[in-house]
Amino acid sequence: MKKATVFVLMLALSMSLVFAQGSKEKAVRPEVVKLQVWYAISGASGEQFLALAKAFDAARSDIELELTYSGSYADTATKVSAAMLSGDAPDTAIMAAGQLYTGGRGDYSMEALVKDPSFNVNDIFKGMLEYGMFEGRIAAVPYGISSQVLYYNKNITDKAGLDLEKNPPATWAEFYQIAKTAMEKGNVNNSADFYGFDTSDGVWLFKSMLGQNGNEVVRKVNGRVQPVYQETSGVEVGKFWKSLIDANLMPAGQHNNAEKKFLAGNLAFIAASSNRVARWQGNTNFKLGAIMMPGFKNRSIALGGNVGVILTEDTFKRDASWELLKYLLEEKNHTSFALSTGYLPVRKSAQNGEVVKEALAANPLYKIAFDQLDNAWAYYHFSEMGTMDSFFWYALDEIEKNVSTVEVALQKAADSLVKEIE
Amino acid sequence: MAKKLKRMSIPIFLILLLGSIAMIFPFVWMILSAFKTVPDVYAYPPKWLPSSWKFNNYVKVFQMIPFAKYYFNSIFTSTVQTAIQLFLSVTAAYALVVLDFPGKKFLLSLIRSTMFVPIVVTLIPLYLLVSKAKMIDTYAGIILPQVFAAFTIFLLVSFFSTIPQILYDSAKLDGCGYYRILSEVVIPNSKSPISTAMLFSFLGHWKSYTWPLIVTNKATYRTLPIGMKYLVQESSSEYQIMMAASVMAILPVLIVYLFFEKQLVKSITLTGLKA
Repeated sequence: MKKATVFVLMLALSMSLVFAQGSKEKAVRPEVVKLQVWYAISGASGEQFLALAKAFDAARSDIELELTYSGSYADTATKVSAAMLSGDAPDTAIMAAGQLYTGGRGDYSMEALVKDPSFNVNDIFKGMLEYGMFEGRIAAVPYGISSQVLYYNKNITDKAGLDLEKNPPATWAEFYQIAKTAMEKGNVNNSADFYGFDTSDGVWLFKSMLGQNGNEVVRKVNGRVQPVYQETSGVEVGKFWKSLIDANLMPAGQHNNAEKKFLAGNLAFIAASSNRVARWQGNTNFKLGAIMMPGFKNRSIALGGNVGVILTEDTFKRDASWELLKYLLEEKNHTSFALSTGYLPVRKSAQNGEVVKEALAANPLYKIAFDQLDNAWAYYHFSEMGTMDSFFWYALDEIEKNVSTVEVALQKAADSLVKEIE
Repeated sequence: MAKKLKRMSIPIFLILLLGSIAMIFPFVWMILSAFKTVPDVYAYPPKWLPSSWKFNNYVKVFQMIPFAKYYFNSIFTSTVQTAIQLFLSVTAAYALVVLDFPGKKFLLSLIRSTMFVPIVVTLIPLYLLVSKAKMIDTYAGIILPQVFAAFTIFLLVSFFSTIPQILYDSAKLDGCGYYRILSEVVIPNSKSPISTAMLFSFLGHWKSYTWPLIVTNKATYRTLPIGMKYLVQESSSEYQIMMAASVMAILPVLIVYLFFEKQLVKSITLTGLKA
């Protein structure tokens, strides 16, 4: 018995020495912290991000970045999911819905990091900060954020006798009449495939509309997320959506082609991401215009885009990742990224900066996206929100193609979400 | 009679001409779009010729991605994958046709069933295996998990079954073993279906995007489809740059096709399959 006790004590002592040694080793920060950074930003936006990340890499002798393009948002989600299961996850990532990974595992270390005085979290737009939240807590920081803007073909509206600069629609009911007039009188191409309005992302617009009609999309009741979009305020939005189809103002189930149609001059209005300002301005065969999104009871705009998320649990790598994110979100750096890509500045101070003022003077369309920032809104983020989007997609498709009534389609989407959550 | 044939061949010729134009149209459009500006790409009515020829689209491709490296990786991985896949498919199909063994039918069904499993289902388990084998960011990691293909096995099984039994029996009487029957009877008599299987296999690997993306992080191992995806943004409007990359990317496939054209046409007449 005595021998056994001595053995156990010795074992405990040697284990504690081993652990103490381990923790001592752990406490020593490597001279250079190597960070694996994955980013889901491509094309011209990807180039802008890379330039900033490389500048950070060059400026910091203590941090080395290994930058990897991780594909589209969906590809990145698959890549990160697989890598997390095998322990090959990157240290940090710029991706859509990154907070689902950290928040999902109860990692809210970002909450402490954003309190860094040199970060000035109060300078971040409230709606944008909420966009990086998971179940109401900060689990990521906003990066490439955009909102939908209502773009229009000025050649079409001019032909239809509409002056949107003077009389922009404030409500969707007003917009309905304007789109109808544009459709009836503005077919500049004499195209048989001409429509008044469409959106390249129906689910995104529908969620904005829900917010505008006072619907929260989902609500947390007794600690459980519940869909509310099937309630009366949601059905009203669905019925307006259906009225656009019934009046032939919006084609049924053709959202994937909406941008091509708009750029070809066969669509008067399109609700599309604010980042199209940078891509379309000067690249269209017609005069491009933009107005603020109309609303129902208010003019809420659901945000979209990507966030910066720290996936590593290693202290040194986490701190280095934070240094990178902080650098990317510095007013000067993020504003230059935003202005050259069309994403929105996340910092309030950017709006008053000289760079932004100059950009607004050079490209007044930016102003629309900036003006909408005060209406920026992020609904409650939870684990199944990606799945919810696919249920929305099915519901809208059924509504547009007359497969189900608005009530039935939304109820079905709500039931599916409840089942998924359970 | 000759006159009648000539008269009959005119409408057939016209139909074939229309078909050819329809087939060639996307290629011509791709080549021309590679020199266009954004407004030209989306112009309505469509503009055939660019209003000004933008060779810069090609330059941009090289500026944005390590095109030559990706190109080499695509050619290398596709060629090796195709070679291994063909070897496995030919030997597997031969065994399934020639040998009688217990559980043969079950094995056939098992192989067939893999054709109905979508890649998304196997992606993560496969990734975990590759990660355990320390093959992330290696050519082996890209190549090995993609070399087994039920489709090419079944394509060859269906053809090998049509080779008359008498040929197998004669070869056996002449003292040939399984290996010699395969190399001297089956393969020489199956050049067309093997060419078809090769083309299908090469095309599949050449276009493969998701797996190489998941299993690589370093540009050193990345392939062309990943680079192509990087050229466009989410719902991007800059198709002209992607078209320029596509023009360059299509060359190896065209070369493979032209090289095996004869065998392929023969195979279409035999199997009714088109690549």
